[in-house]
Amino acid sequence: MPSNIATDVRAALATALSGVAANVYSYVPETVTPPAVAILYTDPMMELLLINKSTTKVKLNFVISAAVAYNSNPASLDNLEQLIISILAAIPAGYEIGSVSRPSVSEVGAAILLVSDITLSTYYTQTL
Amino acid sequence: MPTTVITGRDLALTINSVSYDAQATSVALTVEQTREIYQTLDGRAYKVTDANSTLTVEMLADWGATGSLCESLWTAANSAPNTAIAFSFTAATGAVFTGNVFPTFPSPNGTAPDAQTVSLTFQVESTPTGTFS
Repeated sequence: MPSNIATDVRAALATALSGVAANVYSYVPETVTPPAVAILYTDPMMELLLINKSTTKVKLNFVISAAVAYNSNPASLDNLEQLIISILAAIPAGYEIGSVSRPSVSEVGAAILLVSDITLSTYYTQTL
Repeated sequence: MPTTVITGRDLALTINSVSYDAQATSVALTVEQTREIYQTLDGRAYKVTDANSTLTVEMLADWGATGSLCESLWTAANSAPNTAIAFSFTAATGAVFTGNVFPTFPSPNGTAPDAQTVSLTFQVESTPTGTFS
């Protein structure tokens, strides 16, 4: 059975993060119920870093967006910090973890969220 | 005549019949000649007296993986360091370089939080053979 990124990478990563105290999405959700964790692509989405082309091998670049409800600044920041630390602990082996962006306030639908992005990358080989 | 462009996607490398394509990020085969220069009554004369070849490979480390290249290289370098093993390096379709290299120890290393990489410089036994078709 051919491999695919949705199942073998994004869903697998979402499963690994399922233990954190948040709703975990392996895609951009239509609505966000905080606290939430969403696995999104960053730019560049894919990079070709390995030799040969007989098998397609790419480096995938993601951000994990961690979002909590923005109700009171100190409590929201504390919640976000705890969520980020729990995400970092849950990221499995095989991922390069980059940096965590400074928190920013985002409005998604009716929800006001405090959001930080964690950059991470991994390698994927397409199998047939 | 259209411009020819060859990229890393055209490369292929096998050492000891094992493909390195899944892990290698760069490969270079270098042949350096020792050229003596003589000043004669007729002017300068040149003579190549030796050639030394090295095969340099940069690759992602794969310690612990099934069929690990790093582990097999370590084992070969440890158990039979003086036994050359065959390699085949395809620069592009129709341009293949073959020869023998001596096994070398990969260096376990790491820099948080990056992917572990291994840099290998193999001593080539003699000048590689280029096959062009």
